[in-house]
Amino acid sequence: MSARRHTKARAWRRALVYVGLTIAAIVVLFPFFWMVVTAFKEPGQAFTAEIFPSNPTFENFRRVLTEFGFGRYFVNSVIVATTAAFFATLFASLAGYVFAKKDFIGRDKLFGFLLASLMIPGMMYVVPQFAIINKFGWMNSYRAMIVPHLANVFGLFLMRQYMTTIPNELLDSARIDGAGEWQVFRTIMVPLSIPIIATLFLLTFQFHWNNFLWQLIVVNIERLYTVPVGLALFRSQHEASYTLIMAGSCISVLPIVAIFFFAQRYFIEGMTMGALKG
Amino acid sequence: MRRTIIWVVAAALCALVALGGCGKKEEAATLTIWQTYNDEEHPVFKEIVRQFKEAHPGITIDIVRLPFAGAEPKIQTALTTRTEPDIARVDVSFLAKLASKNALLSLEELVPAAFRDEILPVALQSCVYRGTLSGLPDQTNGLCLFYNRELFRQAGLDPDRPPATWDELIAYGKKLTDEEKGVFGIGVRNSLWWSLPFFYTHGATFLSDDGLHCLLNGPEGVAAFQLKVDLYERHRIEGGAWRSGGIQNDLGFQNGRYAMIMNGPWAVESLKKTGLDFGVGLIPEGPAGTATNVGGNNLVVFRSSKRPELAAEFLMFVAGEDIQRMWAASLGQIPVNVKAMDAITSDEHPYLAVFVEQMGTAIARPQTPYYPEIENIMNPEMQAALDNTKSVKDALDTAVAEIDKLLAGE
Repeated sequence: MSARRHTKARAWRRALVYVGLTIAAIVVLFPFFWMVVTAFKEPGQAFTAEIFPSNPTFENFRRVLTEFGFGRYFVNSVIVATTAAFFATLFASLAGYVFAKKDFIGRDKLFGFLLASLMIPGMMYVVPQFAIINKFGWMNSYRAMIVPHLANVFGLFLMRQYMTTIPNELLDSARIDGAGEWQVFRTIMVPLSIPIIATLFLLTFQFHWNNFLWQLIVVNIERLYTVPVGLALFRSQHEASYTLIMAGSCISVLPIVAIFFFAQRYFIEGMTMGALKG
Repeated sequence: MRRTIIWVVAAALCALVALGGCGKKEEAATLTIWQTYNDEEHPVFKEIVRQFKEAHPGITIDIVRLPFAGAEPKIQTALTTRTEPDIARVDVSFLAKLASKNALLSLEELVPAAFRDEILPVALQSCVYRGTLSGLPDQTNGLCLFYNRELFRQAGLDPDRPPATWDELIAYGKKLTDEEKGVFGIGVRNSLWWSLPFFYTHGATFLSDDGLHCLLNGPEGVAAFQLKVDLYERHRIEGGAWRSGGIQNDLGFQNGRYAMIMNGPWAVESLKKTGLDFGVGLIPEGPAGTATNVGGNNLVVFRSSKRPELAAEFLMFVAGEDIQRMWAASLGQIPVNVKAMDAITSDEHPYLAVFVEQMGTAIARPQTPYYPEIENIMNPEMQAALDNTKSVKDALDTAVAEIDKLLAGE
């Protein structure tokens, strides 16, 4: 009897949790929902109270993709964000390995020095970086958009902290089995660090996907504009074409969503791995 | 004899080189223009450039379209590395900043006085920094009063007669306001630029002639802002559009929550598309009559331009009568050239005609490189007055003291 009451109470509690979570999900997802429905509205209807547009239209998507060359911006963004995220993650994991597992003179001082550079606001770098890029003659190129962001101290920090927790014994046993330095890194460090590598890749990808100012500054050709720059073109001094912005935004969130679903597997894997160890 | 021949040959060679150089220079004549036109304006601008190229065969013009939001940092960064374009389109207040840093070419010599007389005086003034003409306007605007004709009808008001004075606006507002339905007579924005029509209709002056003192806390300024506060606090006809989290005025007007708002000519086209039945009237008269503020954009030539004459010519081409006529007719905007004003008839462009009339009463904004900073000082103080945590006099005095300190540091 009491057991039944107990399960009943538990069912109630569960129901309550679900109601709470549902409400939270609605709150979080509503802006996305609004973005999608607005993208299907006619220009003047952007802010009407009707939830679903009375005559939905693909016009915004058509205009965004054909008249405004969003396809091109999209390709540029994919190239820039993927390349930058790939190399930034690669360099950060290599450096993270060294700082976590290798001993050399001044290692901790150097690490502290690098960390201190995190305290300098990113905006401070814009002008000097721009001057360097300009001197190299890299203006109006993918290089200009990608290269300056490949060394990522935050990523290094993340990788080092995670890799320190990997037991040295694993590395030692690999070495006893005759693994070289590169092999240790590839077969032990990388597979064990996949959750954090995926996280860092996602974070840097997202950063580059959303980066606006830098991509605008180093490019003077519309052909090389990225998605955020293209989106900003829809906003003039006093007004904005919201239906077009929303259609463009719908397109622009797709890769982030896709990558997130892909990377999510690894997040969960990371969590269960911790659970097993405990 | 021999010597003569050598001389002749040498002279011929020199001439050839000079001519060749000349021809090359003509060929390489390139103008780079950074502009921030919106989606409707951009194609018209491209057409203007095409016509200019037709009149100047052999030149190349590179147009780079920038988002308005990123144009200023981009130009500033480019200036530090000397990679700025020949011509840029900048906001009225950014021109002063660029001119104060000595980045702009003076157009004093390049633009004849006769041409300057063709330009709408307030728009031209917005290009003058410390007595030097530093650009030419390509677009000008100011605020007018928009009103919802349907709500006017429902309240028993004449939909063809917007309020002519502030007193009338208050009387109208009381008839239009229905707090239960959430409908208010008017919605106002808080920032300084959006408050200037209040100040100017009361005869307040923004800055002293020497540009060292802000004068908005004088009796006229206090009366002007008191009116703005009273609309909300005492007359209860303002819907709190200035509050953070309040329904913003554009939105409230579109949705029939505010029967009147101030807005600029840029809003006409998008409002028409919503099917709202609205009218445009002059800013209501205060003790100093009707008046409005000036906004808009100017074209400037950078000092580093290798083709200053050609660049200046392009600026005059854009601001010239023919182009302005086309610009006004195809985009429904206020022409900056007085000679093109007659293109705007009240039959064909009923809304725009009101704006053109209002621009005759517009008061130019004094050119100071500190305008954005002044806004930043003024706005929170005005907000405090609006939500009644400070008296109007206190708020304006505090702001003006800060602004004067800023101006003295110039």
